[in-house]
Amino acid sequence: MSILEVKNLTHTYDGNTPFMHDAVKNVSFSISKGEVIGIIGHTGSGKSTLVQHLNGLLKATEGEILLDGVNIWENKKNIRAIRSRVGLVFQYPEYQLFEDTVYRDIAFGPKNMGLSDDEIANRIYEVCDLVGIKRDYLDKSPFDLSGGEKRRVAIAGVMAMQPEIIIFDEPVAGLDPQGRANVIKMINDYSKRYNATVLIISHNMEDMALIADKLLVMNKGELAIFDTTENVFRQHERLIRMGLNVPIVTQVMLSLKQKGIDVPDNIFTVDQAVDYLLSLKQGGNRNA
Amino acid sequence: MLKDITFGQYFESKSFVHKLDPRTKLLLLLIIIILIFISKNWLSLLLVALLIFSSMIFSKIPIKMYLKNLKAVLPILIFTMIINLFYAGSTTATPKWSQNLFWNLTITDISLSRAVFMASRILLLIIVSAELTYTTTPNDLTDAIENLLSPLRFIGLKNAVHTLAMMMTIALRFIPTLIEETQKIMNAQKARGADLENGKLIERIKALIPILIPLLISSVRRAYELAEAMECRCYNGGEGRIRMKQLKYNFDDFFTFLIVFIVGATIIAINIIL
Repeated sequence: MSILEVKNLTHTYDGNTPFMHDAVKNVSFSISKGEVIGIIGHTGSGKSTLVQHLNGLLKATEGEILLDGVNIWENKKNIRAIRSRVGLVFQYPEYQLFEDTVYRDIAFGPKNMGLSDDEIANRIYEVCDLVGIKRDYLDKSPFDLSGGEKRRVAIAGVMAMQPEIIIFDEPVAGLDPQGRANVIKMINDYSKRYNATVLIISHNMEDMALIADKLLVMNKGELAIFDTTENVFRQHERLIRMGLNVPIVTQVMLSLKQKGIDVPDNIFTVDQAVDYLLSLKQGGNRNA
Repeated sequence: MLKDITFGQYFESKSFVHKLDPRTKLLLLLIIIILIFISKNWLSLLLVALLIFSSMIFSKIPIKMYLKNLKAVLPILIFTMIINLFYAGSTTATPKWSQNLFWNLTITDISLSRAVFMASRILLLIIVSAELTYTTTPNDLTDAIENLLSPLRFIGLKNAVHTLAMMMTIALRFIPTLIEETQKIMNAQKARGADLENGKLIERIKALIPILIPLLISSVRRAYELAEAMECRCYNGGEGRIRMKQLKYNFDDFFTFLIVFIVGATIIAINIIL
């Protein structure tokens, strides 16, 4: 049973003006509960436009979005309830912080859902443990934190709403390697803890290889490929034609292969590569 | 929504009016506004109107654009007409025709003519000002203002003029950026369940806080970044700066000035004779 189904979604910007163009063209796909989906695509391929439809921030020009089999626009007054079920973390979410304490900023989402103060407090402590915000941070001003910490607080603000589906638009953009690893871990932990469905937009193929079960490839507003991460990364030539690429370790393996060394083409993470190369060493030099 | 706001409303074209020097257009706008106000009778107003309409044709801007502009000022127009309709004025001429509505509100042929005259003046004012913004980019306009105000340096205001022009340029440049930013923050807060559309007035005002605070913070951040970027490129005010695009008057400008001066002289003559 798919939790989210997108049917023939088309979004036209600036309709009836000379600037009219389709940002998303006839996109259909469905996602099962608990899956982690990576969305990749060249800049301007319609990724951000696509995900803003999933929680009703944008209304499709054509097509529909079914959440648990029900059109999200079936009852217009319910759209805020839909937004608490489908969380969306925008790019650079730290720019949306506004409260005077971290606690109150994280509480903004749950409060809008109409939860009781006790329930809000419970959720905040839960999410802080999950994402690694220390308790004594809760009374600080979010503007006194470092960039990576701000990002963590902003993401916690959406996670505290405990959405069944959570969407991240380039969650690691502009972070240092430590911050990136933290955010990826947060996302992983959240999806495991709540059996949540996750969609991540990212340009970083290494992160995608680590975290995504499936990849959704957008090209010029159209859905180009939707398949398991392994099957997508196998089509490296097609990806390169779309201005995308495969993880660096896969590129290394591919160039080894071009040099005539027989290596498998399903190595996408450094760990896989290490394992494979070690097994070569143990099994004797087959090719080298 | 927010993106419908188009400030300045410049319309790209290569018409005669577009190609005029922005200083010419700015000065002529001032002169034409003065002409509209010194026109005391229908004949001179008709001359100004002819001048404005012919410039509209030369601007190659669709008439529809001008009409859209008028819609916004319709209430002011109607208000002016009604006030003038019932205002007897200081004229000593006896009306040929008059109609008492009720109490002592009386319409005469003189007041009727004055009401239409006033409305026409406002219409012409709006059309001619709109034409300036339709045919001149905001940046060209600030350049023109800086250039025209540059004589102020003789009274020790050189830096003030340059700073003012730079501030205007920056403000205009960042309007679209800020609109985009506002839209983004609104979406982000809506995704966190913020309700911006419903509720009583007080609730709606409160709902603006999560948008205004991030917007304010990011504006300050942008200002710092821009200031640093300008300093990195050795910006230190107007002293010794030259322009890549120099403003230059050419034959078209002199020709246009000439026509406007002829019309202006005629109007003054008509005012004296009649």
